[in-house]
Amino acid sequence: MTTKETLNDIFMMVFDDDTIQITPEMTANDIDGWDSLSHINLITSVEATFAIRFTQKELLSLKSIGDLLKIIENKIL
Amino acid sequence: MDLSIIEKDQYNIGHICTRLQCKRGLADKRAMRFVDAHGNRTDYSFADLERESSCFANILSGFGFVPQDIFFTFLPRMPEQFFAFLGALKAQVICGTMFSNFGEDALLDRLLDSGAKGIITKKSLLRKITRIKHQLPALQYVIVVDGDDLDGEGVYSLKTLVAKTSAEFDAPLTPSGAPSVLHYTSGSTGKPKGVLHQHGSILSQSMTSTAVLGLKPNDIFWCTADQGWVTGTSYGIIGPWCLGVSQVQYGGGYDARAWMRLLEEEQVNVWYSAPTALRMLMREDHEIFENADLSGLRHIFSVGEPLNPEVIHWGRSLLQHDIHDTWFQTETGAIMISNRPGVEIRPGSMGIPVPGMEAAIVGDGGELLPDGELGNLCLKPGWPSMFITYLNNDEIYRQKFRNGWYQTGDTAKRDRDGYFWFMGRSDDVINTAGHLISPFEVESALLEIEEVAESGVIGAPDELLFEKVIAFVNLHKRFTPNTDLELKIRLRVSNKLSSTATPQEIIFCNSIPKNKSGKIMRRVLKARYMGEDPGDTSTMEI
Repeated sequence: MTTKETLNDIFMMVFDDDTIQITPEMTANDIDGWDSLSHINLITSVEATFAIRFTQKELLSLKSIGDLLKIIENKIL
Repeated sequence: MDLSIIEKDQYNIGHICTRLQCKRGLADKRAMRFVDAHGNRTDYSFADLERESSCFANILSGFGFVPQDIFFTFLPRMPEQFFAFLGALKAQVICGTMFSNFGEDALLDRLLDSGAKGIITKKSLLRKITRIKHQLPALQYVIVVDGDDLDGEGVYSLKTLVAKTSAEFDAPLTPSGAPSVLHYTSGSTGKPKGVLHQHGSILSQSMTSTAVLGLKPNDIFWCTADQGWVTGTSYGIIGPWCLGVSQVQYGGGYDARAWMRLLEEEQVNVWYSAPTALRMLMREDHEIFENADLSGLRHIFSVGEPLNPEVIHWGRSLLQHDIHDTWFQTETGAIMISNRPGVEIRPGSMGIPVPGMEAAIVGDGGELLPDGELGNLCLKPGWPSMFITYLNNDEIYRQKFRNGWYQTGDTAKRDRDGYFWFMGRSDDVINTAGHLISPFEVESALLEIEEVAESGVIGAPDELLFEKVIAFVNLHKRFTPNTDLELKIRLRVSNKLSSTATPQEIIFCNSIPKNKSGKIMRRVLKARYMGEDPGDTSTMEI
């Protein structure tokens, strides 16, 4: 499973929508229910699944799913 | 009361917000500029509102909906939300609205209790409904704004329906007392209760839109509230449109720069938002506000939670505007108490009652309390937007009225100048970012998790959210706390109820304090969390 596929599964689980197909360009505006509270669930899920920890600076720099993917891939290399 | 919006005893909200405005010569006036999350703008005139809502009224009539049937919207902020709401009301169908972040338990509670016959939603949310539809025998019509017909499953494409439906609809003559809008609200016990309003509520909403919000005919108004909230229907739809005022509606979420751009570019004159959003703005870089041209802005209002004085000082300093707090409840349907323009603001206070309203601080025995004493905040019943019942729960409704007063459930004080000061709730309901969360509902969702033996949920003060949800969880003996389980709990509550109900903190413990009759002693949990003395625990089961 690629990182993107794993991340897609996390999105489907967190937002309870198995039709989600993430792309790097997507932002919170493209996924129904992606608010500041569900964002915490998303980040916690990503950290648990990939066994990584985000820094505050990394979290603040996240603008799109592409940004998220890049940070994850850098950490699991 | 602005009785000029009532012609020949026609109180129909859908009619007044659309057809009547067209008859007044506003057909071509912009009623709404919808700005989607990506900044794309689409304008809708009052004639557009009239046409689209009439079409929707015909769709429901064609399905066989009759007055007092119940229809729900389950949509994020998008134009169809407004067309469906007004269309349902035109046909005298009761229209309920639900937040799009609701999970299936929250949906099931509301759809089942109300016996809703139909719902409009989006493809991305449809799965939540299809999962529970087998438990909802009354739910016959699911309309999808961006999907196709699903033959045999009662799922209909809005586009297909619109293409074959007339856009001419004459709203039947609707008396003031005819049921109109349904919002569910949480209490400290039991399931959420359906707060039912009447078409005559439009008198309170129009009056307060002018007397409190100060709306003028040529204003641009922006109410940030989601339509799942009573603010989103009373002031995000009814108040401004019954007066022919143009609105901005934004489909995106919180984004300080986008919001400031919107205020500036759309030349918003009156802005109605919420303390949590304002507190989030307070944390942003000052340059966002220093560079914003808010010359068009006349008033800022806030609703949902108490507005702390720091926010008012921040508004004066960085936005060069007062922020006026307003207070009302789902049950009151319209603003009841406010720091309205023209009246001296007392930072931290709720303000004074709006014209025509009588508020008082009442003791538990029904006696009026003197100024400065803490008691129950009560309102003299009889205002037009007063709810008419809790659906299927008239007994609880009647209990809200005692000694000639409506009991708000809030505790407050009144100062010698007549300003009211919110002190807290007289029950355990948690107000997080303006959402009322029932501890009972969260506890019930937690108990559905295999590992959880018992739980107790409380609200604790939070600088941003006003209150945050804290869950004490006792696991079955064979399980041990770990981060995966914590995540599972968070996601379960989020997906079953809503993201706003998700506990901000989960505290694993060995027991939940209960009294001898088994009632969770949330007071003790709260004291434990706050590091305070729990007080009398003599009735506690050890």
